Amino acid sequence: MSEMSEKTETTSDARRRILNIAVSTVLLETGFDAADKVSLETLTEMLQCFFAEVGNSAKGFCELSGRVEPVLGDVVMALINMGISLQGIEQYAARPNRHVIQPPQQAPAPRTPAMLSAGSKAKPAPHIPFHLPPLPDPHAYIRTPTHKQPVTEYEAIREKAATQKRDIERALTKFLAKTSETHNLFNTEDNQVFPLIACKPTFPAYLPCLLPTDQVFDFDELEYHFQVANRTEDLPADKKDQSDNEGENGADNDNANISQSENQESALTSSPERNKSGG
Amino acid sequence: MQMSRIGSPSVGMDDDGCAGHALGDFLLQLENYNPSIPDSVVAYYLNLTGFESQDPRLVRLIALASQKFLSDIVNDALQHCKMRTSNQINQSSKNQKGPKEKKYVMTMDDLAPALQEYGITAKKPHYFV
Repeated sequence: MSEMSEKTETTSDARRRILNIAVSTVLLETGFDAADKVSLETLTEMLQCFFAEVGNSAKGFCELSGRVEPVLGDVVMALINMGISLQGIEQYAARPNRHVIQPPQQAPAPRTPAMLSAGSKAKPAPHIPFHLPPLPDPHAYIRTPTHKQPVTEYEAIREKAATQKRDIERALTKFLAKTSETHNLFNTEDNQVFPLIACKPTFPAYLPCLLPTDQVFDFDELEYHFQVANRTEDLPADKKDQSDNEGENGADNDNANISQSENQESALTSSPERNKSGG
Repeated sequence: MQMSRIGSPSVGMDDDGCAGHALGDFLLQLENYNPSIPDSVVAYYLNLTGFESQDPRLVRLIALASQKFLSDIVNDALQHCKMRTSNQINQSSKNQKGPKEKKYVMTMDDLAPALQEYGITAKKPHYFV
């Protein structure tokens, strides 16, 4: 909106400036060498109002007589009504020292650059009139599928599911064999040929199911934490026996039981961890 | 300044007819004379108020009439200016400036009385409040 108003203001500014130039021309022809800015603006304003008034009255006279296009008589009536005398206009037209001002140049309309156009626009079909705007980019209304129709045969789907399941199992077992502890069937140190995922039995096996615990993210950190919690070097001798039960985490019995069972777990897991192969 | 009256409405047709004929001839001659103001600018301002003419001669007539109107006013202003400067020169020493080196500058002091004779009162404030 502001751009539109600026555009109209600049275009009317250009015409206004031409009126300014015209008024200055008249002043020069009359004999003035310079003019006050205020008086120049006054005369320009008068000129613009003159045009507006003549246009308005002439149109009024024209419509008064039932016409739509104004005629010379309408213009004459309008001028007479305003009190402008046309006597001597011919001599004025033929005056020797007249200047003519160049009409303003018409700037070419700025062409909006074609932005984000993909593909060439299709030609309109013959039933579409030519004065309508051109068709948009083809991707806007033409639909091309991005994938093929999936197979729906029962046999093919079953086979696919079976191969996928087999691949998943194999990949997962390989992954676990390479990252977690392995158990060796043979009596060698190197365990590259047949790695088996080690099975870690806990005693008793039903205990973790019965006892709710928080989720343990890192067993090493947990082990370190309880080693720090259960250290006995700094404490006086009479409290060493109680530190195992209480610990520094809390005084709950549940917590103590959990810490004891996890201590056993970490003791058990720590030895096979050292046997972990780097493969 | 002359103001042409409309006069009696029914008989005035003859006067207007004569003036119309003369102006009609003048319109034909007008194609040779270009007024100072370009046609497109005048047509733009006339279009703003609803006056659209396919005949460029009408537009030129209006442009010429406006120019003559302005030049009449400016001539009167020049007379005022000359009166003022001649008064000043009579009061000051006569040796300094010859009459040919005078430069006329149009100010509101000259324009206001000239406009007053035409019935236009132009009062401009010296500064904005």
